[in-house]
Amino acid sequence: MSASQSAVRSRAEAVKVSRTFDWLILFTLFFVVLGGYHIHYMLTGGDWDFWTDWKDRRLWVTVAPIVSITFPAAVQACLWWRYRLPFGAVVCILGLLLGEWINRYMNFWGWTYFPVNFCFPSNLMPGAIVLDVVLMLTNSMTITAVIGGMAYGLLFYPGNWPIMAPLHVPVEYNGMMMTLADLQGYHYVRTGTPEYIRMVEKGTLRTFGKDVAPVSAFFSAFVSILIYFLWHFFGKWFAGTGFVQSS
Amino acid sequence: MAATTESVRADAAEAPLLNKKNLILGSLVYVVFYAWVRWYEGIYGWSAGLDSFAPEFETYWMNFLYIEFVLEVSTAGILWGYIWKTRDRKVMSITPREELRRHFTHWTWLVMYAFAIYYGASYFTEQDGTWHQTIVRDTDFTPSHIIEFYLSYPIYIITGGACFLYAKTRLPTYQQGLHLQYMVAVVGPFMILPNVGLNEWGHTFWFMEELFVAPLHYGFVFFGWAALGVLGVVNTEVAAIAKLLKKDLA
Repeated sequence: MSASQSAVRSRAEAVKVSRTFDWLILFTLFFVVLGGYHIHYMLTGGDWDFWTDWKDRRLWVTVAPIVSITFPAAVQACLWWRYRLPFGAVVCILGLLLGEWINRYMNFWGWTYFPVNFCFPSNLMPGAIVLDVVLMLTNSMTITAVIGGMAYGLLFYPGNWPIMAPLHVPVEYNGMMMTLADLQGYHYVRTGTPEYIRMVEKGTLRTFGKDVAPVSAFFSAFVSILIYFLWHFFGKWFAGTGFVQSS
Repeated sequence: MAATTESVRADAAEAPLLNKKNLILGSLVYVVFYAWVRWYEGIYGWSAGLDSFAPEFETYWMNFLYIEFVLEVSTAGILWGYIWKTRDRKVMSITPREELRRHFTHWTWLVMYAFAIYYGASYFTEQDGTWHQTIVRDTDFTPSHIIEFYLSYPIYIITGGACFLYAKTRLPTYQQGLHLQYMVAVVGPFMILPNVGLNEWGHTFWFMEELFVAPLHYGFVFFGWAALGVLGVVNTEVAAIAKLLKKDLA
């Protein structure tokens, strides 16, 4: 390759080429991360995300933030630390939500006929915005992990509450007390997932009653901090550019 | 004439840097093909895919599976063979403009990989959740699996392999050895396919229900993480492209 030759013929062409690559790279990054993130999330927290009658006050609140802070932490480790792009977490969540919404509409509704108000995805966007803003303002991985990670866990339930509240209204049905979400589950039968494997509202200290969700959110926030640290370093490794010698 | 390309054609500089026709046509191939697949699922999943012992299951689903196997093995052999056979033997002596053009072609391949990964890991995998949580399986080769495991996964494996081979055989950037994160981004998702063996073994052995978060599925999760290797590919490409463009501006 000759160093004296130019790859482009003018500054204008260089700018155009650069912008074209930006779009190609962003498109590819968005959909490849979407694919990896979605398969990770659906198989570690998916059941709680698929169905409203799994969206309880204990396990959904605990599991969803812990398993979903992973890819945002990894992508931030590349986009912020290499390019100062402050949207690593938001772009991950946008990808995940796009993949989920397409699926819930096209397949959960379009193929197996569950109504969308029974199988809509969780809202993870408030925590992602805070995660990005904290990183942008502090430029510190430690503060982002501790403050951002904690906020990511704590904001999950309030961020979903306006959507879920109407479905947690208690109803009496055939002499039994349940939520509207439970009722949806009983009516829209999932033969392959019988009731006995639904993991909701487990625990012995049920007398805590209304305190279940905040306690679960706080625990989730604690683990989210740890997971953020771990996945930040995963992200750094995945962003490496090393070669293995063929010999 | 040797099978491999020994030099860049004189008129190569006249070709467009980015072949938009290939980019659009390639994207359309994935989108239209998968739209047809989704239509087929919608029609024959319910009408012929509920009982694997029924003759119509053999007609509409098992034959679909056999055709897939043949086409996938042939496509992989022909495509990968072609890319390897026509490799550039003097890849280190190409002009900077030709190198830039090849980076564009490489990114056209990577965009196809993005489509393939999206459909495989996101669209058809979560779709598998709703199918199996609704329909009780009586075979490993369910309508959902015939599309997800044995069609969409091989397609992203073939596409990812083509990306990697193109980069390795035509771009000076990748001549220092084997790019570790690129291998991870291609081989990791590939390993999801062998992991299907564990999944099917587990489901036939003890696990009849479809709990998506069951530990039996964690192999898919682990190998799904490998998609993050695309971050390393992006960083390598950005450095290489920036180097090419800065030459002009210096």
